[in-house]
Amino acid sequence: MKRSYRGVILLCAVLFLNIIFTQKAIHQYYYEDYTATVIYAILNIILFPIALFIYHKEKNV
Amino acid sequence: MDKNNKIPFDEDNYTHNINKNNERKLDRRGFMKTMVGAAGLFAVSTLPWGSIAATELMGLREKKYPKKEIIDVKKLNIGDAFEFAYPTDHDSALLIRLGENEYKAYQNACTHLRCPVFWEQSKSELVCPCHHGFFDVKTGSPTAGPPRRPLPEITIQVEAGKIVATGVKRYET
Repeated sequence: MKRSYRGVILLCAVLFLNIIFTQKAIHQYYYEDYTATVIYAILNIILFPIALFIYHKEKNV
Repeated sequence: MDKNNKIPFDEDNYTHNINKNNERKLDRRGFMKTMVGAAGLFAVSTLPWGSIAATELMGLREKKYPKKEIIDVKKLNIGDAFEFAYPTDHDSALLIRLGENEYKAYQNACTHLRCPVFWEQSKSELVCPCHHGFFDVKTGSPTAGPPRRPLPEITIQVEAGKIVATGVKRYET
């Protein structure tokens, strides 16, 4: 049976963004740019429900 | 055996060709689950950074630095460096006397992976021996190697023949 791998690709993209935001948040923390740190941390948290949403949409495709 | 001799098989879950144990453990759906779990892990791992940054932003921790005597001016020759700790005992720092009245002090944890940075007098450079990171002694900014962020500078005063640390400079953002 042919499966759709769109979910896999989308989740890989989400995880890639996760890595970038985590790295950026920590670097900006050491630069004492606390606003940017908070923004990146929030973005990282928002990505989790997005990942869940993608999973629920794509698990039976 | 009888079942397998019939075509088509009386089966609808498409797993008749799977023989190994755990063959379906990391299939497409299992992989997606792992990815969602990893996304959750990343979200949780940035929480402490975000919350510390938020408390700093709200000014709950107004930074006040104590004055601390480092060394007598007479004991430090021009071109020499002296290691001390500021603001706490766990933040090692380096004081360099560049001229008669020219002093520079930096927190000397390398901004790459926190190895101690040393003063190389013959080359007039700050050197991190771990991965050959180099820093400019006048500004603290990295000149070569892996570090990308300048060393935090410590403000210095000379009071009654003694060199005194008064604070840590913030990065200009």
